[in-house]
Amino acid sequence: MAGLKPEETKQIKGMTLRRDPAREACFKVVGSDAELEEWPGMTEISRRQRIHRHMNNETGAVEIAAQCLVDFPEAPWELRMHLARQCWDESRHVAGLYRRLREIGGHKGEFPISNFEWCVTCSLDTLAARLALQNRTFEAGELDLLGQLPAKWREAGDERTAEVLESILADEITHVRFANQWLRLLVREDRRLALKIAMAVRFLSSVTAALAPQEGQLSPVGLAYEEPQNRITQVNVADRRQADFTDSEIDEYLRQSGFQPIMTSNAEG
Amino acid sequence: MSLSVQDRAEYIATFRFIQVFLMEALARWVPQTPESEVKVLFGRHIWDLAQQADGLGKRGYELRSPSQFSLRPVDSYVELLEEFARTETTPQKIHGFYDVMLPGLAARYQNYLERTDRLLDEPSVRVVERILGEFKRMIGESEALRKELPELRLADKNWPAKLAKREASEPNIVVRRSSAAVA
Repeated sequence: MAGLKPEETKQIKGMTLRRDPAREACFKVVGSDAELEEWPGMTEISRRQRIHRHMNNETGAVEIAAQCLVDFPEAPWELRMHLARQCWDESRHVAGLYRRLREIGGHKGEFPISNFEWCVTCSLDTLAARLALQNRTFEAGELDLLGQLPAKWREAGDERTAEVLESILADEITHVRFANQWLRLLVREDRRLALKIAMAVRFLSSVTAALAPQEGQLSPVGLAYEEPQNRITQVNVADRRQADFTDSEIDEYLRQSGFQPIMTSNAEG
Repeated sequence: MSLSVQDRAEYIATFRFIQVFLMEALARWVPQTPESEVKVLFGRHIWDLAQQADGLGKRGYELRSPSQFSLRPVDSYVELLEEFARTETTPQKIHGFYDVMLPGLAARYQNYLERTDRLLDEPSVRVVERILGEFKRMIGESEALRKELPELRLADKNWPAKLAKREASEPNIVVRRSSAAVA
């Protein structure tokens, strides 16, 4: 948390995090993902809620990349160019999802939102640590999710949303890739960054544990939370390889996550 | 008398400083601005400004500057930039950026095009002309958004004129390289 002024932070369940970015008054901002509405199945409300949540996640991704440009002006220009490009990509994702949300009858502020990724990532004081969390962890996780989701939307008869998600996936691969490549370079030049990255990963684990739902707690839509082991997403090995994860990194990720090595052969899962 | 190679390098490096500064201003505003559509507009234009800075940085290298070299403009202009970057309301950010700062910079680019040797300095001319075309698109996109969202209209109609007057008050913003700090 070094470098942040007290007015830039917030306290939540004993954790000090970066204060939320600005949102319009129509949005109800909650402190954790557990407080988000998560409607089951692919009903109309579930579809709107999924796109609404994804739209806010992409908004957070623009904000994180933009804040990195502000906070690390001394970063190599080529890396800043990647971050600037990411701002463009994530902005287009927000616009594409918002367009789709309106097409299916949704609107901004229809569901609560959480800025978890921003609040955690932008608490970190090195660019390497932020890239490790935002691009290499959160966005890499999105590769796994987006490897499966288009098929799910197609099954529900929504080809248009499936196409939007596939377009987003292609862009996200490039964001994970530049982070992987630059992190290797940065750590090679300064070994101390490896420690910063390890501390960032530990910080994420602590925050995730602190904000997790309590045993027996029901979700805002009145359902029991799924056990973590039931929320496992297939690892999108093909796209992780495209994103320049090495085979040993992918194997390690599978092992650490306790996943069976369920491999998808392509982005569609 | 046309611009010397040294003059051109200094102009290009100064323009790069401003482009990077404006990119960072938009980046700073993205999390601070509540309106989603405006975040998207700024996010898109961060990349435009970065590419423009990159093009200038590459051209500066061809003019014997270090790669991606920036030259800090005169203090009064930097003060204006810094003050503008602290703008708080969304309508002021939008009107100030797209109605004053970009057109002001475009006028400086036009002035450069008029002063340089368009044949011998053609690589710079191409870079600058491309930026001018992109500025038009960016301004057009901001106007389209303002039409869509009337709440982005400015209450104080005199504010842009005051900012424009300050922006134009320093016709020469380039500092000789020997006395300038590197951005």
